[in-house]
Amino acid sequence: MAVMNESGTKSAVATYCLACFLLIVVLSSCGRNKGGSGNAGNGGRAMDSTLVIAMLGDADYLNPVLGSTVTSGNIIGLVYPSLLQSEFDTTTGLLNYMALEKKLRDVTPGQGKKTPKGALAKSWRMSGDHKSITYILRHDAFWNDGQPVVSGDFKFSYKLYGNPVIASTRQQYLAELVGADKGQVDFDKAIETPDDTTLVFRFYKPVPEHLALFHTSLTPLPAHQWKNVKPDEFRHSSLNLEPLGAGPYHLKSWKQQQEIVLSSSRKSNLPKPGTIPQITFRVVPDYTVRLAQLQTGAVDVVENIKPEDFTALLRANRQIDVKTVGLRVYDYVGWSNIDQEEYRRSGRVRPHPLFGSARVRLALTQAIDREAIIDGYLKEYGVLCNTDVSPSLKWAYNDRITPHAFDTAKATAMLKAEGWLPGPDGILQKQGRKFSFVLYTNSGNARRNYASVIIQQNLRSIGIDCKLEVEESNVFFENLQQRKLDAWMAGWSIGLEIDPLDVWGSDLKKSRFNFTGYQNPRLDQLCELAKQKMDPTGARPYWLEYQEILHRDQPITFLYWMKETQGFSKRIEGEELNISGTFYNIDDWRLRPSANVAL
Amino acid sequence: MLSYIFKRFLIAIPLVFGVLTLTFFIIRLAPGDPAAFFIQPGISPNVAEQIRMQYGLNDTVPVQYVKWLANVLQGDFGRSFSRAQQPVFDVIASALPITMTIALLTLVANFTFGILIGVISAIRQNTFLDRFLTVTALFFYSMPEFWFALMMIILFALKLPLFPASGLNEIGAEGFGPVEFVFDRLWHLVLPVTVLSINGAAGIARYVRGSMLEVIRQDYIRTARAKGLPENIVIFKHALRNALLPVITLMGSSLPFIFSGALFIEVIFAFPGMGRVTVEAIFARDYPLIIANTFISGSLIVLGNLFADVLYAVADPRIKL
Repeated sequence: MAVMNESGTKSAVATYCLACFLLIVVLSSCGRNKGGSGNAGNGGRAMDSTLVIAMLGDADYLNPVLGSTVTSGNIIGLVYPSLLQSEFDTTTGLLNYMALEKKLRDVTPGQGKKTPKGALAKSWRMSGDHKSITYILRHDAFWNDGQPVVSGDFKFSYKLYGNPVIASTRQQYLAELVGADKGQVDFDKAIETPDDTTLVFRFYKPVPEHLALFHTSLTPLPAHQWKNVKPDEFRHSSLNLEPLGAGPYHLKSWKQQQEIVLSSSRKSNLPKPGTIPQITFRVVPDYTVRLAQLQTGAVDVVENIKPEDFTALLRANRQIDVKTVGLRVYDYVGWSNIDQEEYRRSGRVRPHPLFGSARVRLALTQAIDREAIIDGYLKEYGVLCNTDVSPSLKWAYNDRITPHAFDTAKATAMLKAEGWLPGPDGILQKQGRKFSFVLYTNSGNARRNYASVIIQQNLRSIGIDCKLEVEESNVFFENLQQRKLDAWMAGWSIGLEIDPLDVWGSDLKKSRFNFTGYQNPRLDQLCELAKQKMDPTGARPYWLEYQEILHRDQPITFLYWMKETQGFSKRIEGEELNISGTFYNIDDWRLRPSANVAL
Repeated sequence: MLSYIFKRFLIAIPLVFGVLTLTFFIIRLAPGDPAAFFIQPGISPNVAEQIRMQYGLNDTVPVQYVKWLANVLQGDFGRSFSRAQQPVFDVIASALPITMTIALLTLVANFTFGILIGVISAIRQNTFLDRFLTVTALFFYSMPEFWFALMMIILFALKLPLFPASGLNEIGAEGFGPVEFVFDRLWHLVLPVTVLSINGAAGIARYVRGSMLEVIRQDYIRTARAKGLPENIVIFKHALRNALLPVITLMGSSLPFIFSGALFIEVIFAFPGMGRVTVEAIFARDYPLIIANTFISGSLIVLGNLFADVLYAVADPRIKL
């Protein structure tokens, strides 16, 4: 009996194990991409012809009208064709636009490495009154399904970009087209397509040529593929999963939240088939794991490597290169210039009791040892920041401004002159009010945490009580928008065209990002004057004055510019970093065949 | 027993429904805006408004609730805000197989090793082996999973490159044959499953040891030995079956884990499982996805408890349902 039972138990266990294994095998294969048909025999060989890029998160849409994440932008740039090619000229800091046979500006020798062959436009002509621009398109551009790319595709796509039901994040680009001033773009008048290769955009006001080029070069969608999709179905159409492009790569497979695989488009002439046969964008959410994978050679590119990891990374693997580009990103301490509570309650603008005076804000900037933050954290990858005009935009940057030096004696004297005197507990006081506030920042940012601790210590040493509080990013951002914070630490990433009215404009209702409540009519005027100049360099005097005003008034304490730092495997050849993006010439990158990276 | 199960199901319906209603209001009362991502310089202020309109967020909360209720009663949980407006159950359906693979492998390893270590510790009570196993189990039990996972990656993916650090498959795995593909998948699962099961097995071992020690002192075990039964029959048939009762409760409560996923492991090993779906939905304030996830985990907790109760009756004939 006992023997019978024992064998019964054994067979039950065996069946159980078998069942579990089968279930696992079935489950594992569920996620397998059935459509994929790679010709690689094994992982090693596949790696030889595949560039692997680690990314923090997945693309949201591979549709240029909808895509709004960085990953989406990178992939859309490789899959879809573009009307013009653009390039950032590092000697001047100006963006150059190129069609096949025309350039906006002559390039400085040594610059201008980007070929215009990828552009759909042969040339363009700006009308004398700057109220229309006419493009002549090339005849030999085709979508991947063999249909020609025609001017009608642009008109069709611009209607999508401007459709409120679709809610494209790029609808701002249509703001100068005819009818936009009355609230609704009149597409029949604003975009004309007399024939398949002529495309005319009309504006309701004169627009500088560089801005016209920027705003009319939105990526087109193939009209023949999308024409039957209703606007309210646009965002969840299955066509979003099968992007039809014409660029150097096409989508091979997209396993959501895992990887996006692009294959070189052999027939592409915009500008040519990608040199690397296959590019895989892999989602690796954890930073440490991204670094580990770069070290083992499992991935080839990791963006935004923290300065504190460089030495260890380069020591661990000599086959890695860290490259930097910048400067587009800065951190700052925001001070409420106005009494936010009063403004929320009654809409009245009154100076903030602590930070309302420009002299107090200047004293705070001088009390913060910004160099110490750079030396301690960013090292050579940080640059002192004076205003929000980046030193990289050389044509507009004011290099005569001397940074406010760290000087606690001066800061104390200035605060004293403003009536802030030490109280019995050592904290500064004025009319019974202590100089005490909470400095908010968003969670999960080690750099800002580091900086905020130094700021707290610096301010404490001159008698200011600064408490630190970290908030979940969503909550932090909402509080900032609702003007609930008096002091905070955050950052901005600037565009390559200077357009700061959203951040500093005196009309607090219109300027959505003027969280400080800073108001200065002269600054508004300068921004408007600069916009009216048809040649950007003509606006240089306005921008110089703009920087002087910001430097004097210190609406916020500008901390530091950060270089963006990217890690590359040395098996990649031909990569060039550009401020306009890490993957700016990725279709020219090559992979060295000896793929296995030695540790 | 069937009528008992039926009754429990009936009670579960208002319970799950209550949980969903609470979740509906709590997430809407929490600070944060699903359209916040669209409030950026360079993006027209109209976009956030248009998006809110599409999501139906401009209605008052009670109106939103009535609309939501009407849809849910028809089985429509809506479309995700943050994931390209996919139907929420499509999002979940793509994450579930991955989570279930990891969780089932982990549970099998957990219970196999946990029970084995627990039994050995109990029958060799107070020996060096018992103490060694107890201390080791406690050591792993108290270790934070995310840290342990990172250490395993540094050890076995970086210093000794034996296993991959993340991902579900090798680059180019689409070209593999079916057997090679499955082995590649299993090879990628070794580190995460090891991390999860070492941690879990250590906990289970503690339960089994305690309960086994209690059982082997009982009179009927002495009787079984006295009538000359082989020791392994005494331990595995007579003692273990009774000692497993508390473990069954654990099994029942593990059911939600199979479907809810292990967040840290999914983030660290880059698996697009349920844990990541849930947490990313919360950060993006993706209300429909949060509610659908709550629905699934709420239902499973109820089911898991029911499952445990039924298993009790199966394991112990004295318990009648």
